[in-house]
This record gives sequence, structure tokens and C-alpha cells, in this order.
Amino acid sequence: MQDYNVKVEKLTKNYGKKAVLKGIDFTAKKGEIIGVIGKNGAGKSTFLEILMTIKDYNDGKVAVFGNNLKEVDQAKLEEIKSNISAVLQPTQFYKKLKVKELLDLFRAYYGSKVDLNEIIEEFELQEHLNTFFDNLSGGWKQKVSLAIAFSSKPRLIILDEPTTGLDPHMRNVLWESITGYIKKNDSTVILSTHYMDEIELYCDKVLFINDGVTEVYDTPENILKSGYKSINSFYLDKISK
Amino acid sequence: MLLTQIKYDLIMFFRELFYLVFTVVVPPVTYILMGQMFSNATYSGGMNYVQMYTPSFIVLISFSVVFFAFGFDQVMNRAEGIEKRLFITPITDKILLMSSIAKSFIIATAGFVFITLIGILIYDLQLSIVNFLVSYLSLLLINAIMLVYSHAIYSNFNEVKTALIMSIVLFQIVMFTGGFSVPVESLPNFVKYVSYVNPFYHLNKMYISIWNQTFEFNQDMLISIGYTSFLLIISLVVIKLKKRF
Repeated sequence: MQDYNVKVEKLTKNYGKKAVLKGIDFTAKKGEIIGVIGKNGAGKSTFLEILMTIKDYNDGKVAVFGNNLKEVDQAKLEEIKSNISAVLQPTQFYKKLKVKELLDLFRAYYGSKVDLNEIIEEFELQEHLNTFFDNLSGGWKQKVSLAIAFSSKPRLIILDEPTTGLDPHMRNVLWESITGYIKKNDSTVILSTHYMDEIELYCDKVLFINDGVTEVYDTPENILKSGYKSINSFYLDKISK
Repeated sequence: MLLTQIKYDLIMFFRELFYLVFTVVVPPVTYILMGQMFSNATYSGGMNYVQMYTPSFIVLISFSVVFFAFGFDQVMNRAEGIEKRLFITPITDKILLMSSIAKSFIIATAGFVFITLIGILIYDLQLSIVNFLVSYLSLLLINAIMLVYSHAIYSNFNEVKTALIMSIVLFQIVMFTGGFSVPVESLPNFVKYVSYVNPFYHLNKMYISIWNQTFEFNQDMLISIGYTSFLLIISLVVIKLKKRF
């Protein structure tokens, strides 16, 4: 049995004539939190959406839970999807549903037998259960999105800029939820972020995408050992070249 | 999964004021108000107000549901990223479509019962059980045809604003040239031509004749059947092409 949840080799993706991904190589093991960084327009969201199985790609190999996405049939794809969850940027759900109804609806999608009370308690959602999603603040929207993402007990969680626009307290609350979940479950979290302190504090590995290729894929410790004061200075140095 | 989706689709419909106004409020209220003004009028074929407008308002509710709560709703979910979020889950586009279709059939059924009840209670409408069932089944068929039209039209929209403007304009055109408010015979000539190319005028005309048990395959009806079928085929082709690209 493979010890990785995602394996990507020589991945390419074009939008018309424009090549966005020109060769991504990447492996995500179980229990890892991986931060994907790069300039705006570097292809981070495209890369994550390919892993979410909602975007096609041109060439290369993308294996999720050992299944090559180009070779799976609809039934297998649905089985893979039942083990993936995500938080998108911007976060959108049905506006006219309350938080508890969204949790119930998504549980039905995944055919999940998870006790919703456990998720509600873990994410401290009690006060907002009867609030319409559209009426929540930005931070609570993200928190509810995370709760929904985790409620299906996925093996792979993909978070596209989950803490963008949140205050430091709410960012911290969200990260506690993410790391708390990973400790309990043998899942992989892949996320994109513009906050380099989050990479340094919480991620096991960093994938730096530059001009559509994997330029660096290493642990924050190794990057810091190579002479950088912080991941932020590493990032600024890399994008200035 | 499908039943839960239908349940929440219906809940969301009844929470959306915009949809409620155009489907649950406007048609029945207009049916009652117009009845107070024109209850003694006689229309083409010697029909009275109840014979002419009871089936018309049933079709109008069905049209409103199909174009607002089905078609426009799809554009909104697409434009706001909700559809994208749903496609990450194991739910398929087929289940979402089936749920939307079920929702439109359920609301159209409620509209059918509601308008019929108003007709019975206020305008002394007489309807045999057989006629009731035939009319109901015909409505479902007309609803299915309108769903295909709606799906073909709204598959071309990715922006809520343009879809909203189109929906409101379309509602007005259908309301005035479909025979839902003013008899087409009394319209100026140039508006009559708009009516003749309006497929909802033909669907309405066919449904009125089914409701009143006067439907027969004469030249007039064959033109309506031929025209609506032609547009149905065009719509199916559009949907197929959109899916491919």
C-alpha cells in the first residue's frame, strides 16, 4: 500500500495557447500539511483544482490515492471525490441555507455517517447553527467551510487561501482546527497561502511554484538551514530573481 | 442524496422572495384581479374568463418556475462558484439537474392545484376527475418542454446580471404576447407577429384547448405542435453542443 495520497509527475496545463503549468512534480504523504506558494497567477489555484478533480490537464500524471486521474471511470472518480474535500477562495455555499442545513446537505453528498454534533462541537458552531450562511462574517464563513470540509472525514483536504482576509485571531483559530484534525486523522492537507508565517509555523513542506514549474519542494527547516532568515525572505528572494 | 437535494432545493425556493413574487404571488393575484374585471367577457371560441384564463395562469406559474427557479438559479449557482464547490463532492451534475427538474414539477403541481382551487372557490369552475387528470398530465408534458427551452437558453449565461435582465424582459414578453394577460386577437398586428413566434403562446393555446376538451389536430394546432417541436429539437441540439464545449 502506498504511503502517499497524491503523486504528480510532469504535470502541464494550458489555457488556450497560454501554458500555466509547465511541469509540476510533487508527492504528498499521509499526515502531511503542505503549503503551496508562488506569485499571483503562478498557477497555484489551477494546480489545486486539478487535484480536486474539477479541472482537466493536458499532460503528465496525477495519481490520487494511487489512481491515475486520466484512467479512472465515473464510479472510481466518485469514490475518489468521496475522500477529497476543499475550501475554495472565495468561499461559496447556498446563501439561503442555514449552517446546520449545509452540514446536513454535505453529509448527504458524502453518504457520511459522521456525528454532526461532534463537528459542531469541535468547530464551536453552536451559536451559528441557525444563521444563514450569507449572514456570517468572513471568518465564520471560513470556519464553517472548514467544518463542512472536515465533516466527511476526507483523506485529502485542499484549501485555497483559507485564511485570506481574516484577522490574526481568526487565522489562529482556523489553524488550530486544521492541525487538530490532522493529529486525529491520517489525512493530507494541501493549501495555498500568501502568509509565509503560516508556512513556517504549520507546514511540513513547501512547494514553491515559479513560472509553472516546481522550483523548490522541501521542508521549511531545510529552507531555513540553507541561510534564509525566514520563509518570507526565502520567498521574496526567489520571486525577485 | 437526491431526496435531500430536492428537500433543500424546495426550502431555498420558498426562502427566495424574488422567486416567490414571480411564481406564487403575481400569477394567482393577477388571475383573481383580472377575473373581477373581465368575468363577464367572452373570448375567442366563445370561452368565458374561467375557461380561457384558468389554464393560462397554470401555464404562467409553470413558466415562472422553469425560467426563474430553474434556469436563472442555474446561472446564479454557476456565477457565484456554488456549482464549482458542489462538483468537488461526489454529487454529479445529473443529480443536481434531476433535483431541479423535480423541484419545478412539484411547484408546477402546487400551482396547478392552487389556481384550480381559486377557480372552484371564486369563479365556480367545473372540472371532472378525468379532465383534471388529463390537464395535469398535459401540464407535466408542457413543463418538461419548457425545462428544455430554459436549459438551452440559460446554458449561454455566466453572469447573474445579464441573466436577470433577460429573465425579467422575457417574463414581460411572455406575459403580454403569450395570451396570459390580453387576448392575442385584440393586440395590434405587429405584436401579434411577436406572439406567433413566441413558443409560449403556442404552448398556452394548446393547453387551453386540452383544458377545455376542444383539442383537435386541425391545421392551427398542427402548426403549434410543429413549431414548438422544432424549437425543442433546436434546444436539445444547443444543450448537447454546450455540453461538448
